[in-house]
Amino acid sequence: MNKALKTVSIATVLALSTMSLAACAKKESAGAGTQAGGKKNVTLDFVWFSDGNEGDIMKGIIKDYEAKNTNVKINMIEVPYKDLSTKLKTMIAGGQPPALARISTTELGGFANQAVDLSESNGGLDKYTSQFVDSLKPFYVVNNKAVAAPMDVTANGLIYNKTLFDKAGVKVPTSPDNVWTWDEFSAALKQVMDKGGAKYGLVWDYTPQRWSTMLYQFGGSMMSADGTKATINNDAGVKAAEYFKKLHDDGIMPTSVWFGGENPNNLFRTGTVAAHLAGNWMISNYKDITNFQWGVTYMPKGTQRSSVPGGKFAMAFKKSGVEKEATDFINYISTKEVNAKYTQDALFLSPRKDNAKLDYSFGKDMMEVFSNELANTVPAAATDWSRQTIVPKFSNDLKTTLSEIVAGKTPAKAGLDKVAGLIDKAIAEEKK
Amino acid sequence: MSAQASAAKSVKRRSPNQSMGWIPYLFVLPNLLIFTTFIVIPTIIGFIYSFHEYDGLNPMEFVGFDNYKEIFTNGEFWTALGKTAMYAVIVVPLIYCISLAIAMMLIQPLRFKGLFRSVFYWPTMISYIIVGLTWKWIFGDFGILNYMMTLFGSSPVHFLSDSFFANVSVIIATVWSRLGFYMVIFMAGLQAIPTDFYEAARLDGASKPRVFWSITLPLIKPTTVLVVMLSLIEAFKAYPLLFALTGGGPGKETTYIVQYIYETGFAKQELGMASAMSVVLFLLISIFTALQFRLSKGGAD
Repeated sequence: MNKALKTVSIATVLALSTMSLAACAKKESAGAGTQAGGKKNVTLDFVWFSDGNEGDIMKGIIKDYEAKNTNVKINMIEVPYKDLSTKLKTMIAGGQPPALARISTTELGGFANQAVDLSESNGGLDKYTSQFVDSLKPFYVVNNKAVAAPMDVTANGLIYNKTLFDKAGVKVPTSPDNVWTWDEFSAALKQVMDKGGAKYGLVWDYTPQRWSTMLYQFGGSMMSADGTKATINNDAGVKAAEYFKKLHDDGIMPTSVWFGGENPNNLFRTGTVAAHLAGNWMISNYKDITNFQWGVTYMPKGTQRSSVPGGKFAMAFKKSGVEKEATDFINYISTKEVNAKYTQDALFLSPRKDNAKLDYSFGKDMMEVFSNELANTVPAAATDWSRQTIVPKFSNDLKTTLSEIVAGKTPAKAGLDKVAGLIDKAIAEEKK
Repeated sequence: MSAQASAAKSVKRRSPNQSMGWIPYLFVLPNLLIFTTFIVIPTIIGFIYSFHEYDGLNPMEFVGFDNYKEIFTNGEFWTALGKTAMYAVIVVPLIYCISLAIAMMLIQPLRFKGLFRSVFYWPTMISYIIVGLTWKWIFGDFGILNYMMTLFGSSPVHFLSDSFFANVSVIIATVWSRLGFYMVIFMAGLQAIPTDFYEAARLDGASKPRVFWSITLPLIKPTTVLVVMLSLIEAFKAYPLLFALTGGGPGKETTYIVQYIYETGFAKQELGMASAMSVVLFLLISIFTALQFRLSKGGAD
């Protein structure tokens, strides 16, 4: 019996080591290939996630690229967005980083140490960053390295149900000069509810990033400009949280989104909600709505106007063995022409300064409103959210704390003090 | 039969066993490999992580017992654990009583017995995520139940966005989805009771409740131990259903321990801390199991 057990143990150990050896061995061969026409044949793994139709557009771009560069094959690995971070971590920890990945601002900071500096082979940091809109710079420039290239830029903004607004006879601002104040806006929403028959005035995505739009409009910020201490619990922050609660208390916002996780997109689509505070990515999502007319208008202002910038980026990873080819591909998709095709077809805003005006087939005027929101955004919005080593340590607590504030379980000041404590703790640990 | 013959027989009987010696292990090997690779090794690695500060990407930093010390002062961890315990205290007896009652009903000679059994068993075959989404359509603020209630003129109830009702909704969904599984276990246990006992009791003129308390319950004790143990462990590990149904909300009202650990590990990127929390949870579940095993003497009698 003992002998048998021994045999099994040995067999187990052997089998396991064979498996791990096989796993390591695979890495040696990955990416490499035979020499053909002076250039080596390479396969670039491109980890990708899609929100809308952008995956199909990218496949078309890849096809063009492969036709021009016959030695390169790009293998798109599609994952749901929520699995992206785990997938990348597993690949990197397993010693097999992908050549490329499409990532959002949430992942940028975390993977910065594993990323290829794109500016190095592209004429230096200043020259590289000068191509893209400045508000994105804090996100992709980490420790003076361009760790990713912006593919599209996003802005938070206001989408409204035109049919309901017209029915209630409420006019929306037509230019940046006559935007609402928050009080005027909530009065307008009340009117759409009373006269237009809207069940709710406003739905607001259940994310701390979307809530922060209001924080910046009220003159607040999450951290001080130099990033040394939390400022979320100052007067402006408390006011923003209290106003957010008031919108719920007045029945303008349904509690089901921030308490029950109800999807605001679905609510807006029913045609019974006057407005949705979301972002420009919703344009392609709402494109197929036929039961009512909708549009985009300027967000109201608090003490100032502001949106929150964000975006999606392409990152190349170190130790993939194909860093150069991956960088070349990123440079290709970052060119004016290719980026214009990508953003125009996907209804995105381009991060390139020279692609500011694009000929969209749908919602051109809506895109211009979002561009304007972005142009009137306070710097704190980008610097706060670009601190991606600090943000994950408190963002979930900020979200649940806001729910508690809205529910009346915690006063705004006490709740934000708690979040500020987490921010300060994260900053202190970062310094260690 | 001579002594020699009997000795030869015993040798003969033993020899195939010996030659089979390692064959059973061979059959177990694939499972053992999978179990080792995906359960044992990660458990050991998790244990190692728990003594480090680790974000999953950058080099680990050894911190000794710091993570454990921090857990003991972390109010949120204990709140989440307390909520989980509360949930378990309600869910386990509910599942026990209802599945036993249904099992007792469905071992009777009934018409359409098979149909009723499958009606109760079906939900266990659905993934937790689907169960959560289904109940979300029922309980949601704009869900079927509220629609029906407004049809009959009562005001809507915030099943998922009120902290009390959210917990009730979670319990109802859990019981519904797990009932069938334990019902089957109970049916097997109940049918294993020899009918002689019942006949004897009937001859003695025992009442039905008396028969239940004095015969059925004591004789299904091993099954009871199994069901309580399994459902308790399951309650402490509850997550996918809650994730789909309430997302842990409103606020953190239905954020139980596994979701809290998950958020620490993957949202806050503190894998070391999350591993330490998992170790604490593992120890707690082990203690429960050992205690129950002890109390029931292994469920042997």
